[in-house]
Order: sequence, then C-alpha cells, then structure tokens
Amino acid sequence: MTDGSHAAAPFPPLASIVLVTGKGGVGKTTIAAGLAAAAAKRDGKAVLVEFGDGDSGKRVLAGARSSGVMHEVVEPKTALETSVGRLLGSRMLAKVFIGNFAVRRMLRAAPALRELAMLDAVGHIADKAKGRRVVVDMPATGHGLAWLRLPLQMRDLFGSGGLYELSERLVHRLVAPRACSVVVVTLAERMVLQETLELCSALEKEVGMPPARLVVNRFPQPIPPGAIEQARALQTEAGSQLVELLEAREAARSEALITLGGASSLGVQLRPLLLPQAGFDPNAVQVADWLVSQEAA
Amino acid sequence: MSHPAPRTIVCAGGGGVGKTTTSAAIALALARRGHRTLVVTVDPARRLASAMGVEVGENVMEARVEGGIEDKLFALMPEPRRSTRTFIDLLFEDEPEAKARMLENRVYLLLADAAAGMHEVVSLMLVAKAIEERRFDYLVVDTAPSRQGLDFVSYPGRLATLYEGRAVTWLGNLSGRPDTSDDGEVRDESGGLLAAGRKRIESLFGKLLNPRTLRDLAGLFAELAIVKDRFARLARVSEQLLVGPTTRYLLVAAPTGSAAADAQFLSRRLKRLGQHPTALVLNRADPSFPAWVDELPSEGMPAELTAALEVVRGDFATRVRAGDHLALSLKSDLPRTPAVRLPTLEARDPSRIVRTLADLLGPHLGLLAGA
Repeated sequence: MTDGSHAAAPFPPLASIVLVTGKGGVGKTTIAAGLAAAAAKRDGKAVLVEFGDGDSGKRVLAGARSSGVMHEVVEPKTALETSVGRLLGSRMLAKVFIGNFAVRRMLRAAPALRELAMLDAVGHIADKAKGRRVVVDMPATGHGLAWLRLPLQMRDLFGSGGLYELSERLVHRLVAPRACSVVVVTLAERMVLQETLELCSALEKEVGMPPARLVVNRFPQPIPPGAIEQARALQTEAGSQLVELLEAREAARSEALITLGGASSLGVQLRPLLLPQAGFDPNAVQVADWLVSQEAA
Repeated sequence: MSHPAPRTIVCAGGGGVGKTTTSAAIALALARRGHRTLVVTVDPARRLASAMGVEVGENVMEARVEGGIEDKLFALMPEPRRSTRTFIDLLFEDEPEAKARMLENRVYLLLADAAAGMHEVVSLMLVAKAIEERRFDYLVVDTAPSRQGLDFVSYPGRLATLYEGRAVTWLGNLSGRPDTSDDGEVRDESGGLLAAGRKRIESLFGKLLNPRTLRDLAGLFAELAIVKDRFARLARVSEQLLVGPTTRYLLVAAPTGSAAADAQFLSRRLKRLGQHPTALVLNRADPSFPAWVDELPSEGMPAELTAALEVVRGDFATRVRAGDHLALSLKSDLPRTPAVRLPTLEARDPSRIVRTLADLLGPHLGLLAGA
C-alpha cells in the first residue's frame, strides 16, 4: 500500500471516453467533473455527460464555469427516439413504434432498450468530440455494471437485426478498454469497499474492462500513534468518549487499508488513489489539480 | 387481506445519507413502543443485516438487536441478485410448465436482469405476501439510494397497467400467433382499432429484431399473460401499501455534496405522485460539539493526544458547519417540512449505532410515524 505520494508504477493513460461509476453518495459526480476539468485544462475542452436532469453536473461545475468543460445531459426519451429513429430510418417511424400502446408499456416495464439508447447517445457525443475527453457520470454501482453488460448481452441474444447491429457497434465503441476507461469511486467504509472490489472484479470478468483508476474518496486523516493510549489514561468520562471515537476512526481506517491490501486476492491489480478527507467536498477544479498531482488525470 | 394493513413509512434520500440505518432505527423505536414492525430494505447491507441478527434473503426474519422486544421487530432484506428468479417463483407457483419455459426464455433473463426496478417490485411482492400471512402494525420501507428511489412507488401501478390491460396479450400474439382476444381486434384506451396497427408495429419489430428473438419476446408475454391476474393483484396490494392514506414519507439527508439537491428533487417527485414529505431526517448534522469535548482538559496533555484532539475538534467543527449549512438550505427549499437534526454517530458495532439512533428518534415518533 502506498499513500499515493510517491508513484510506484505510473497509471496507464485514460482512453478518450471515461466512464465514472460507484455506489450512490461516494462523490462520483465530483470526481467525474474533476476528470473533465483536468482534461479541459490540458486540451482546451472536454465534455461531462450526465444522465437524467443535469442538476448534479451543474452543481459540481458551478465553481468551474470557465474551465472549458461542456456539460451534456442525456435525456432518456430523446435518446430512445434518436436511436430507434436511426435504426428504423426515420424519427417519425420511431415515434409510431415507441408510442404504440403495448410497446410503450413494455418499455416502461423493461427499460433495457432505453438504456442501450442512452449508451448510443454517449457514443455519438464522443464522435462529435473528436478525440477530446468525454467523461460520463454513470448510474450507481450495480446498475452501472448492468449497463455495460447490456451491449454484450444484446449482441449475443439477438444474432441479427437492427438492435444486434447497434449492440455490436456499442461493444466496439464503449465496452472496449482501448476506446474507453472505467474509473471506480468509493469510500473508506468496509462494506462499501468490499462491494467496490467486487465491482472491479466483475468489470474485468464480465465485461472485460478492468478499471483504470480506483479513487477512495474522503479518506480519513491518520491520528498520531499513542494518542488512544493517552486518552485512555485520562480515566474520565470524556476521555472514554474520546477513546471510543478515536478507536472507531482508526478501525475504519485500518479496515479500509486491509481491504484494499487484499484486493489482489480478488484479481484487482490496481493502486488505489486516496483522496484525503477535507472540510467540504472539493469542487471540480480542486479535484482536477489533485488528479494532476497524482499523475492520474 | 385478513389483517388490517400496516401503516407505512417510506424513507427516501440520495446515496450515502444513512437511510438504511435510519430505517432500522425507526423500526426499532416503534418496536420498543410495542408495535409489531417490519423493516424492508431494497439495498441490503450485509453488515447491518448481521448486526440486526438477520440474513439477507427472501424470508421475513425476527431481528435481534436488543432484549425486551420479542416478537415485535422483523426484517426483510431480499438479495438483489436473486430477484429475477424470485419474480418467477412468486408468480408461477401454480404453473410449473410455464415456469420452466420462463426460466429458459433468453429474452426474459436479459430484460429482467436489465430492468431497473425489478428488485424493488420483487421486494414489494414479498412484502405483500408477508403481510397477508401475518399482522404488522408498521411497515418501514428503505428505498434505493438514489434520486430514482421513489420511482418504485409508482412502479407496481405501472406494471399493473401492463398486465391489466391488453398489452400483455397483444405482445404475446406478435409475429403471427393467432389472436386469442374475444373479438379478434384489439382496441387501445382511446377505442381506435389496432389490428392494422399490429402489422405495422410487427414490421418495425422485424427491423429491430430477428424472427427468433421476436418469437422469444412474444413467448415471454404469452407466459406472463397466464399469470397476469396474480401479478396484477400483488402489484395492486404493493401499490396500496405505498400510497395509502396513512403512508408517511421521510426524506433522509446528510451533509454530502448532493444531499440538499437530492432532497429537493425527491420532494418534487413526491408532489408529482400526489404525496408530500412528512419530515426531514438530517443525519450527521451535528447541532453542536458534544458536551464531552469541552470537558476534556485544555492543556497539559501529551503532544500526540493534543494533535489527535485537534483532528477531532476539526472534524466536529466541520460537521457543525456542514450540519448548519444543510439545515439552512433545506429550510429554505422545504420551509413547511419539519426537520429532525441528528449528530454523527461513531461506534465499531453497527447495532450500537442503530440502538443509539433509536434512542434519539424515539421522542420524534409522533412526527415521524404518527405513533
């Protein structure tokens, strides 16, 4: 385990499309914005792609308006109409198809096609960006993996037809380490970490995309050795409260390091990037500077 | 239903705000008052499950968090990875042949695996089954940790319309299967004839899928049509549990970057569902330094301990600041929603956190649970 201050082995460069995934609430959007801001600083421009309403991206980019990061919001309904329109040769036909009373209900119950269409939208945004970095803020863990599996599963299932061709295209455009890198964001909590390492392993085994970076956000600062013993020696009620707090804190920290240290047993060969805990969550520019300082941008 | 329906409390919030722990603590506080309570979490954390003495799985288990509440606190934490299978087990209990065909239908396995909300629906169906089997006074539902967490409130109803109307039969008859509907023609809600429409949609399907896949897709819906009444009934029971007149919605937030925005989003989402948030629960929003911090000696301590205390004071200062910020911004976003502000709890044993949180939430049960 390194503390990230001296690079053991350099990180491999990131591909032009970067998918950022992880459990909800770990700071995925902030890291995604930081990766985009770092690329924008280097290349002049970069794109941050967000699914849904675009609120989160706007929030984290608020402090980085002039950073050259373009914010693209992929809205499910539009993405579906555009994708199906391309397959059927006309957007009008797509509307007829999607608007059919039974098809509409089927799509609401099983949104796989809509999700494929949203990945298709990412592919087209990347084509337009002409090699500039496109960072995608993916949905939370399990769902993010399911999305990446989708093109492979659909390709294998369909065999031929328009959706087969779309899936095949996406497998090459997105589910390929040369075209696309995955960055996994997590926290130093044992359960979250364990789940994250399983995700890393599943990404490699199930979709052939080992993560290119593992960012452990809000990593707690160490406390000086001996402090817990000294707090115990106070032998007051306040002292024992302090002991309990310090112990819980150290336990969380060392458990996290142990879990990360055991990552290789899961086949995860990845040096974790530990982003130290600060008062408030950092903004996109601060994360970008940190990533650059770690030679991980 | 042979028992009166339980009162439902739905906990919603963005990721990482302590929703699952809060749900468990509210359930424990209710159990302590003597209410038979079932807590359901759709995003099971194994560590919390073991702290509560239950296992992640499809059965309701009695939780063991502390003594004195025997036969009062129960938990259901279904395994997300099994929901594709559980869905079939629940629906096709009496249809072994259709069940066997479903388990081999490749389109089902793909669509179910990729279906957002599948796990939530399966969890609710398990709840619907559990409350038919025994009486509960309260049901505490921990939703998925995202802005989409509340979508599943409308999900059973959405699925029910797929099954109640003719969509399933219509889809089951795609690709030249004989139409089994009574008049041979299918009408949509507006009364238009869709028999001609079917040819057109079929030809569009033909551009997207090869014939074999289209047959699998039609086959899937033909199987589902067999159990559509059972499904519609379970979906409606689940829907009533979630949107009944006594249901309370708690928005859980914490000082994470997106918490305030998430809470505001979820409250708008609730409004669209015809509901409103009952209360806000603000976790890790310490109102002040705990008293014991000031009781520590201010000088004469060893250097290491002084440094550690600096770190701890810094943490608390940050928390109080973040807690104030969160409380203020939510107060301006949701001025009419009362808030319960809770301190950060740290302990190595998660069940201890649940118990302490239940102590803190106990006095607010009137607001949070109407109890």
